Amino acid sequence: MDLGLRLTCAASAALLPVLPLGLRLADLQVLRHGALETRAQGEFERVAEEAAPRADLLDRDGRVLARSVPTWSVFVDKPMVKDPAAFAAKLAPKIGVPAAEIAAKTRDAVRFAWLKTGLSEEQAEAVRAARVEGAGLAPALERVYPNGELGRGVLGVVGEEGRGLAGLELTLEKRLRGQPRRLEIMRDGAGRTIYKSVEDDGMTPEPVRLTLDRSVQYLAEEALRQGGEKGAFKSGVIAVQDPRDGEILAMASWPPNPLNNPLVQDAYEPGSTFKVVTALEAIEDGLVKPDETFSGEHGRYEIVPGVVITDHEPEGDMTLAQILEHSSNIGISKVVERVGAARFYRMARQLGFGAKTGVELPGETSGEVKPVAELTKVGLASSSYGYNVQASPLQVLGAYSAIANGGTLWQPKLLLDGRAPVAVRRVASDATIRQMQTILEGVAKYGTTANAGIPGYRVAGKTGTARRIDPKTHKYSTTAYNASFVGFLPVSAPRWTVLVVINEPHGSYYGAMAAAPIFSALGRRLLALQGIPPDAPEDAALTARR
Amino acid sequence: MIDARMGLGPGGAIRFAGAGALVLFLCWQHVQATRLGYRVEAARREAAERRGRVEAMRFELEKRLSPAEVAVRASRLGMVPASPDALRRLPDDDEAARAAGPLQRLLSRLPARAALSRG
Repeated sequence: MDLGLRLTCAASAALLPVLPLGLRLADLQVLRHGALETRAQGEFERVAEEAAPRADLLDRDGRVLARSVPTWSVFVDKPMVKDPAAFAAKLAPKIGVPAAEIAAKTRDAVRFAWLKTGLSEEQAEAVRAARVEGAGLAPALERVYPNGELGRGVLGVVGEEGRGLAGLELTLEKRLRGQPRRLEIMRDGAGRTIYKSVEDDGMTPEPVRLTLDRSVQYLAEEALRQGGEKGAFKSGVIAVQDPRDGEILAMASWPPNPLNNPLVQDAYEPGSTFKVVTALEAIEDGLVKPDETFSGEHGRYEIVPGVVITDHEPEGDMTLAQILEHSSNIGISKVVERVGAARFYRMARQLGFGAKTGVELPGETSGEVKPVAELTKVGLASSSYGYNVQASPLQVLGAYSAIANGGTLWQPKLLLDGRAPVAVRRVASDATIRQMQTILEGVAKYGTTANAGIPGYRVAGKTGTARRIDPKTHKYSTTAYNASFVGFLPVSAPRWTVLVVINEPHGSYYGAMAAAPIFSALGRRLLALQGIPPDAPEDAALTARR
Repeated sequence: MIDARMGLGPGGAIRFAGAGALVLFLCWQHVQATRLGYRVEAARREAAERRGRVEAMRFELEKRLSPAEVAVRASRLGMVPASPDALRRLPDDDEAARAAGPLQRLLSRLPARAALSRG
């Protein structure tokens, strides 16, 4: 065998083991390249999501009412924990949770359990530094309300998954929620992250500005809280609206409940505050002359055999203005007899009763005004003084705002988004509204509502007192009442319409005693807050105070 | 010598060297990209951490400026809510000028003129 052949054989023998290696390499690199590359990418490359913070909710002056802040959540990875008691003892001081609780959660976990959410950066750093095996940290966004419970009935609630569950957080969900940023990352052998590229830049939503005024909201809540904490009443609501454009400045309720907004979701019988419906219609259609009188029947009027209407004070003859000043049920029943069911119903609907206002809050009630066919003589009479009808506090507020602003019913506005306020309709002529304003000013001056007065300022409004339905007997209670007052100020150029509804007041249950003083106290604070000069500087009460 | 032994011509050697340089460049680029990836990730984490701290401080500030907090601090200082009749409105500039006599108006202009002549 010549040398060349021998060398070739030797080289071939030496290279023979390389052949399967080459074949295997070709298999991996060429034939299965695609599948293996995908598998490797799955193991080392990932798409990480960076959650976009939920948009801030701001008040009308840009002050923060709700914000999302980055926090950390600590969790346990159970298979990594050898001794739950030791694990809990080491972690407890770092996160401020009792060791027994951590140990119990760890034992109960199948594989994974959250131990605490909402940790600050400092707390998270302490957990990292402690190097507790089995404990992990995950970034999260927490919804916080820097003013505590202020305005929570309007703002609502966000659930654990960061979705709105109530209030504006629910209705504005799409607008408040951003799109997460998606990043392509890789993990090295030690599990460290290597940034690769941005897959999707996501979207951080713009803050949403509300018409609420933080200071007015605070004053309204404070006015309720003072009575509520002393046990002066069971529950209550206050709403403040700018009658010039329908913007809602405050919505307060006691006891505070972020899951429910009784101003929008609950309907009540408005009592005598509803008397303006009959009065407006009577004036608008010229059915009652200003000096015409109606008999008060000395406090007892049998409207049909067996059905008696009473007044809280026996009255003689009264003009329409005096009927409202004395809040006479008998007087307004006689006026509504002349007005008739059809006209009464039409004016009630004109003022927005029996229809949703369209405010940007969930679960709004439309209330109820009985149709003309169902308004019997007794039903019509009781509707005229605010029984037999259901209205939300916001509807009552809107109707009085229409009287305050010269006759325009606005759609209540909660979002300050640059869009013009929506005028629903005109409710009556200028002359009718002017006459109604004068009557309501007289009510606050001479009538049942003297407690609503503010020295030096012209105030107009109307009280309401209504028996509540007993939920057990489904009949009118003899002990539980709604007391309310709704009015506007200053009359010369109304800036605020304020509604106060007090449910089940203890002591005097009349609107004049339970609700009007709250209106007056809040009105003073509003006037001082805005520095509004007196529009009745010759007022004797003001002179006496000075 | 090498070219001759490996059977490569002069052009082939250049191509071989070029390919080698390209491989080296790609390796270097990959290493740099990975190194940059680590740095970007670290910077991103740091930015997120700082953003978190800023948000926490903003939240604390908003909390301290909330009306309830301010009311508590004000009442500790003995302050009470103002009543509207306690407010005194000062006349605005036009009103004050109309109320002032001609001599006062002239005197009030003097310092401004003096300043102009100095300037």
